[in-house]
Amino acid sequence: MNSGLSRAALRPFLSRSRCVGQRFRMVKKNYSSSVQQQTPRGSRDRAAVGVFTPKAAAVFVATGVGLYLYFRYEKEKIQEAKRKELESRKWGKAAVGGPFQLSTHEGKPFSEKDLLGKWNLVYFGFTNCPDICPEELDKMTEVVNELDNRFGEIAQPIFISVDPARDSQPQIARYLKDFHPRLVGLSGTYDETKAVCKTYRVYFSTPKDASPDGDYLVDHSIYFYLMDPEGEFVEAFGRSSTVEEVVKRTAEEIGRWEGEKGRKT
Amino acid sequence: MGWFDWISSKKTEEPDLTTRKDRQKCWESRDAYFACLDAKGVIKPGDEGTGCSAEQGKYEQNCAKSWIDYFNQRRVLAEQQKESLAMAKTQEEEAKRRRKS
Repeated sequence: MNSGLSRAALRPFLSRSRCVGQRFRMVKKNYSSSVQQQTPRGSRDRAAVGVFTPKAAAVFVATGVGLYLYFRYEKEKIQEAKRKELESRKWGKAAVGGPFQLSTHEGKPFSEKDLLGKWNLVYFGFTNCPDICPEELDKMTEVVNELDNRFGEIAQPIFISVDPARDSQPQIARYLKDFHPRLVGLSGTYDETKAVCKTYRVYFSTPKDASPDGDYLVDHSIYFYLMDPEGEFVEAFGRSSTVEEVVKRTAEEIGRWEGEKGRKT
Repeated sequence: MGWFDWISSKKTEEPDLTTRKDRQKCWESRDAYFACLDAKGVIKPGDEGTGCSAEQGKYEQNCAKSWIDYFNQRRVLAEQQKESLAMAKTQEEEAKRRRKS
């Protein structure tokens, strides 16, 4: 009878309703037999099964099963979220960036191939910009300094001029002196500028026949882009993004890259 | 915004605004001029008469014409924005109050 009792108790999760019924019956029987034999029931049961009473066993097993199911559920939830994130990264990438041909402020040719192997921060602006461009380039300088500290020199800051009529290479070179020493200033003809702005989804208002001596401002999109070492778009940061936010986001991306490819660039 | 102007510049000892030093100088004289306008309660540059002519002279000397136009327009826009933001806020509060009652 005792063995029957513990067997029933050890499989509560197999058929709970049957088990309850059996236990009820058995307790009743048990009671009647203990009355007949005049033995203290509690001590006899303890002698047979120790402190591990059927009830405790049931609770133990049920808790174990419950916890197991709960953790499995949580794990599945996390895996699902990870899968979704990976999918959205694969498919949700914006079509920003692409082939272009420009020259650096030192007169060297520069194309999208020169972005490879570096984390690129790309800003579009012009040297006669009253306040926003210098602010953004200062921000970029701080970001690059911080990334240099953390990862070494794996970031490449780039300034692309949207004012081809006035921004000559010497002028850009003079302008860049006040910012990060590695900052590369790119410029091209009007058509080349227009082409690169198109691939980067940047709006700019410089007219084609702008005079090199004109005193005008250029209206343009204020973003700087983070491009990964394969030249793919990662993120666009607006004016409201702080240095800390940009560094954090870029560091996350570098970390993920390192996790996937085993290298930082 | 007033980004876009068609005034050609005269190239007489103009500040080199591609350098941080000259930009700083321009901003400082702008701030001094605007502070003078604030003191007189004037929003739109030019409406102050001759009250800030010393500051205005320096401002015009240290900044390019296109920059001056841009800064001036932005000052006016910023003031308008402040007003409409304040208005939006009172409207929002009123809507909240109405929802509660």
